[in-house]
Amino acid sequence: MSKVDVLSQNCKGVDQCGICKYVCPKDLYRDSKEMNSAGYIPPEMTDEASCTACENCMIYCPDMAIVVHKDAQDGPPAGEGSDD
Amino acid sequence: MNATVHPLRKYARPHVTRTTTCPGCGNGIATQAILRAIEELDLRMDDFVFVSGIGCSAWIPSPFFAADTLHTTHGRPVAFATGVKLGLPEKHVMVVSGDGDLTAIGGNHLIHAARRNIGLTVVLMNNGIYGMTGGQTAPTTPRGISTVTSPYGSLEHSFDIAPMIVSAGAAYVARWTTHHPRQLTKAIKKGLTKKGFALIEVVTQCPVQFGRASKLGGAVEILKHFKSNSVRIEKARKMDPAELLGKIVVGEFVDIEKPELSSEWTRLIHSMREGRQ
Repeated sequence: MSKVDVLSQNCKGVDQCGICKYVCPKDLYRDSKEMNSAGYIPPEMTDEASCTACENCMIYCPDMAIVVHKDAQDGPPAGEGSDD
Repeated sequence: MNATVHPLRKYARPHVTRTTTCPGCGNGIATQAILRAIEELDLRMDDFVFVSGIGCSAWIPSPFFAADTLHTTHGRPVAFATGVKLGLPEKHVMVVSGDGDLTAIGGNHLIHAARRNIGLTVVLMNNGIYGMTGGQTAPTTPRGISTVTSPYGSLEHSFDIAPMIVSAGAAYVARWTTHHPRQLTKAIKKGLTKKGFALIEVVTQCPVQFGRASKLGGAVEILKHFKSNSVRIEKARKMDPAELLGKIVVGEFVDIEKPELSSEWTRLIHSMREGRQ
């Protein structure tokens, strides 16, 4: 179990960038309904309970707009996501 | 309101709230890799001097990093960094700049810094195009790729940067793509701890200039292209050159120990002083 925060003001849009949606091994991101102040649509996490805290989205996000708290709750993390 | 702060935010200047890059640009992935390497090695930003030139990737350290940054003239960051390292040999001097800056206009500075084996860590962002000026063909544009100045595909052969710097005499050379941020972080850590010239080439995506003109697509499509065309160097050494056409060879190209220039200078100065007394 983990906790994911999307810093939506830093995001440059899932339709222009979308790297978070691509690198999530569980396909847990979708477009949110609200635009940020720069006019971009940030992603939102659909199912935090299924998130394994692999940190792919946090490491790949070019705008440092996603924070994964690995130790938010108990339960073992599933290890590093595959980026090989 | 969300009060969460990104863990790497502490390395950024407080007044710089956003990155300067286009949506989906690979420079941001390398920014995090650099900062994560610094965090994992437990280094202080005060011990660093970052030097960058001109181009999109020169904006990675300046103004973002909360450290001493030199934003220099086009092609010359390695020359500036050589001076900084010889003047302040105890500092970590890191050059972050692009392929157009470091291999096109500043190519000679780069190969001669590698030849001298001066203790710089160079993170070279290779997006295969002149991004900031509008997407013209660069010496690193892969053959056959369309750009705004080569609409029928580039006829030129491209620079293979990492092996070139190996031949020039660097102590550490690695190449990864932005699809390999974890391996990239490890390579930057190794480069920072290396006594000698370290080059980390980052093959990165430019979805706006490169992606549109080459019709490779956006950030995700280029990342998929990197994933399917990357070949580890251990495997590539056993393959035919014909098989490697269009592939990106990734991994560690060299990792050797040899005398480093700034420490050799320090040693000479000490021995001369002792001789005079």
